[in-house]
Amino acid sequence: MKRREFLASSSALMGGAVLGPGLHSIAAHAADQPVRGGTLIWGHSETTQNLDMHKTGTASTGRLLQNVHDAIVTVDDNFTVIPSLAERFEESPDGLTYTFHLRPGVKFHDGSALTSAAVKYSFERVKNPETGAVNFEVFNDVAAIETPDDLTVVIRMNQVNAPFLSRLAENGAGVIIPDGSGDIQGTTPTGAGPFKFVRREFGNEVELVRFDDYWGGAPHLDGVLSREVTEPTVRLTGIQTGEMHLINDIPLDRVDALKNDPDLQVLTWFPLSWAFLNFNHAVKPFDDPRVRKALDLMVDKETLVQGALWGQGVVTASPSFPTSPSYNDGLAPRAQDYDAARELLAEAGFGPNELEFVFKTTTNYPWHVEATQILVEWFRQGGVKASVQQLTWSDWLSQCWVDRDYQVTMMNFFTLWEPDFLYYSLWHSTGAFNYRNIKDAKIDELTEAARRVVDPIERAEIYKAVQKRVQDEALDVVLWFRNGTVAARRNVGGLDALVHPNGSNLQFKNVWLKS
Amino acid sequence: MSYLARRAALFALTLLLISVVTFAITHVLPGDVAMMIMGTQSNPTALAGLRESLGLNDPLIVQYGRWIGGMLSGDWGVSLRYKEPIAALIGQKVTASAMIVVLSLLIALATAIPLGVVSAVYRDRWQDTAGSGIALAGISLPDFFWGIVLILLISRGLGWLPSSGYASPTEDFWLAFRHALLPATALGLSLMAHLTRMTRSAMLEVLGQDFIRVCRAKGLGRGAVVFRHALRNAISPVVTVAGLQLGYLFGSIIVIESLFNYTGMGWLTYQALLNRDVPLIQSSVFVIAAVVMLANLVVDVLYTLIDPRVRLE
Amino acid sequence: MRAILSPKGIIGLSLVTVFTLVAIGAPFLVPEELTTKINVLVRLKPPSIEHPFGTDQLGRELVWRVLLGAHTSLVIAVLAVALSLVIGLPLGVVSGYFGGWTDHSLMRLVDTLLSFPVLLLALTISAVLGPNLPNTILAIGIAFTPYLSRIVRGETLRVAALPYVEAARSQGASNWRIIRLHIVPNIMAPVIVQATISIAFAILAEAALSFLGLGTQPPTPSWGLMIQASRDYLDVAAWTALVPGIAVAATVLGLNMLGDVLRDVLDPTIMTER
Repeated sequence: MKRREFLASSSALMGGAVLGPGLHSIAAHAADQPVRGGTLIWGHSETTQNLDMHKTGTASTGRLLQNVHDAIVTVDDNFTVIPSLAERFEESPDGLTYTFHLRPGVKFHDGSALTSAAVKYSFERVKNPETGAVNFEVFNDVAAIETPDDLTVVIRMNQVNAPFLSRLAENGAGVIIPDGSGDIQGTTPTGAGPFKFVRREFGNEVELVRFDDYWGGAPHLDGVLSREVTEPTVRLTGIQTGEMHLINDIPLDRVDALKNDPDLQVLTWFPLSWAFLNFNHAVKPFDDPRVRKALDLMVDKETLVQGALWGQGVVTASPSFPTSPSYNDGLAPRAQDYDAARELLAEAGFGPNELEFVFKTTTNYPWHVEATQILVEWFRQGGVKASVQQLTWSDWLSQCWVDRDYQVTMMNFFTLWEPDFLYYSLWHSTGAFNYRNIKDAKIDELTEAARRVVDPIERAEIYKAVQKRVQDEALDVVLWFRNGTVAARRNVGGLDALVHPNGSNLQFKNVWLKS
Repeated sequence: MSYLARRAALFALTLLLISVVTFAITHVLPGDVAMMIMGTQSNPTALAGLRESLGLNDPLIVQYGRWIGGMLSGDWGVSLRYKEPIAALIGQKVTASAMIVVLSLLIALATAIPLGVVSAVYRDRWQDTAGSGIALAGISLPDFFWGIVLILLISRGLGWLPSSGYASPTEDFWLAFRHALLPATALGLSLMAHLTRMTRSAMLEVLGQDFIRVCRAKGLGRGAVVFRHALRNAISPVVTVAGLQLGYLFGSIIVIESLFNYTGMGWLTYQALLNRDVPLIQSSVFVIAAVVMLANLVVDVLYTLIDPRVRLE
Repeated sequence: MRAILSPKGIIGLSLVTVFTLVAIGAPFLVPEELTTKINVLVRLKPPSIEHPFGTDQLGRELVWRVLLGAHTSLVIAVLAVALSLVIGLPLGVVSGYFGGWTDHSLMRLVDTLLSFPVLLLALTISAVLGPNLPNTILAIGIAFTPYLSRIVRGETLRVAALPYVEAARSQGASNWRIIRLHIVPNIMAPVIVQATISIAFAILAEAALSFLGLGTQPPTPSWGLMIQASRDYLDVAAWTALVPGIAVAATVLGLNMLGDVLRDVLDPTIMTER
């Protein structure tokens, strides 16, 4: 394979894209002035699941409910925590007390007012393990939630929990719902966001309408009709024929073609998600770093991004959000080197064609199936016999995630921009997402220490060391950041504020439709 | 009437057997019901607890009893993935599928009967070759391939009809019809091919019978002979076969509805299968089998009412 | 025999012959590496001298994949139909020959299974067992069994009522002997016709299963998988769908034509069943 040609085409892309989500490459001049009215039809790439924002773990649902809910705090493009439903907040110097001053006059969709009682109710609901909230552990160190008056909430901690505030800004954890409304959230999500939930026909569509009493000013659109169209080509046809005003996740191979379509505007940003190749460390010989490194050395990452993502992504060795302070830009992925790989394999005791394994991959992400076929072909060229087993999403979850019954697999994660969430859950030996059975004393030590360090720069350095360790030992092989893409008809305005800083959620409050 | 009573009893018995078979198949599932509930949040201890609380550790017969009891009392349980009552989910989707199934039957009959008649009347001439050729091609290509061709030509090429999605007929009948037309056509093509062959052979048989020769001899016009006499006699087996093919159509909707993103029973069943949503698989497979059986029963009974000679039993 | 020499017979027979030869010969003549060889520089290239049938989205040569796909289709279809015969034939013969209680309960079960659309049954079984090649065969084979046993039973009933079977019975021949010498040989003709048509349907069923991701697994070359992969590139690379589509169509068409002709030759009385 002629690698040079790929490097030439993709380096340009990298140069532009590393600037991150702040720089949206929009081909837009549809803007003019905002107009009120109209219902936007959105071809959504995924099916929404549990509508209870505290309990849902899926990016698809968060992407939609972003418009129904507001959290107590949120983040800007640099992942600095900024006010949202709380107009001010303070952290005590010892890191043990947080005080939130709520914005006065905020209304929920059910007509009730935002009070400290609603905040207390929401936090306690998430904290209670019985609820089954995804982010319950955010509140692990919380000793007490006090409500001195209607608009003040004071949180006392047992010990310093450095990530606490930023974890509140993450999908779900800090979302405030009306006092006592837990039971209806699964069917009728009710919050304080710019749009009210009207109905969902499962797997088909979700309807939202404008919330006139929204504290940040009512949105321009009358409503949003989210049609859940998982089939990429169907979304493509929908946007081309004008059946839909906007679609997310353009089929990867069509992004460039759509950019030249005069009827459309294309928005791409970076990154939407990141992916990595996984080895099961509890299964021989994948506990041997030489074997892991050898397989890493067979992967031509640039070509993989071209082959599986049609160039809609960037090679990375660090999974940290590229604009976040913890991103270690000093790391470089291993280059493809079959000789070195064979040597390492021989050292580990494997001659040519002696290492055999099954590569499990999930059809939930079609580009993973493509990537797997490419990887397996490279392994074959490197004298390693790998066969593919495609798994549905639930089978992947059960076999790889829970039972950890696999040898090699790959996965991607959306926007784990908060470094504690990212590194502790994925690489700490007791981490909730450590489905690779990784037990690395150095990483355990680092990720535990970071939780007690309040100084953000010092924390970032610790996480950079974690990334280096992952790379050095080839614990996993981090592969790429994938671009996010949205295509919209010409008459859609306000796209520059569409993508939430987390890179996954879409917010329609500033979007409008020209007639 | 005793005939009908016997059929009804038989229907109930088969329904019971269908439920047993459905339950048996889905309970071979090695995967986890509890898994889908917990998703990425699952860990072995929590899963064990959940399994216990869901009654997944009970003996199979107890689980079956609970399921069938629920079905009878109208409580079909809750979908694991969609977290919604299954009866309501299926209720929404059945009408969607019924629409394309009925539409595809109509399309198939409306094209197959003329084609078959022409083939039979012009036996062994070019009209027959063409008609039989179309029919053979229709049977030989997978229906999802036709679906892809239709999307390419009609939807993307000409822009006449939407390529995907479902609209409720009670809200906007015309839109619903437009959404249903392409999937129904793709669904109906192979049935059309099948029925063309049926019509041709039934017509040939009738045309060869004495009374047709008598009619001809009496100087009746060719059109009158073909349509008033021959077709009338040939059509009832064709319609019967069409009715019996409902089962085949309900099998095909899984592929076609997924292709067209038409959210009916087939789509729902496919999603349930992909997600190991066991309660939903059970109920949707059961409902489809029951509908197919009911359709066959209705066709049978109607047939005996119209033509008492076929009452064989 | 004249029917075999009709145009339909000749076309059908030649299509089936070509398919069978390719399916059997391809694994010996085409190295498997060629079907998985990836080259993203030549992805989605239209048919040309360099790329006879064009290339797919990973730059693999469709010509090799479609040739070896014939092998996959044949293996699955033949084994699935064989499986349904192995189960369905004894079931149908026993049911038809002995009648009574056995027949009643067996046919109740068959009727029940017949209420499940074939594809639904195959999909469910495949989803339950986990999709891979052996399980695809199992799923299709099981799903076809009730149809075959129905036909076998009907034929057995017909043959068992014939005078010479009566005669054999009155001469004191054992049931086993009658079944072996009189029943089975005489029901084979319609069963062969049905098996031919079933192979055509099994090929379609495999394509449908793979199309839905519940059949053969990549990178195994399979026509259904190829059509599935082509879906996203139809408007820019129609050949990725047409090449496997035509392969399926030609094969199934050939089998159907041959089935039609065989029916005329072997047994003009039976009707098409699906």
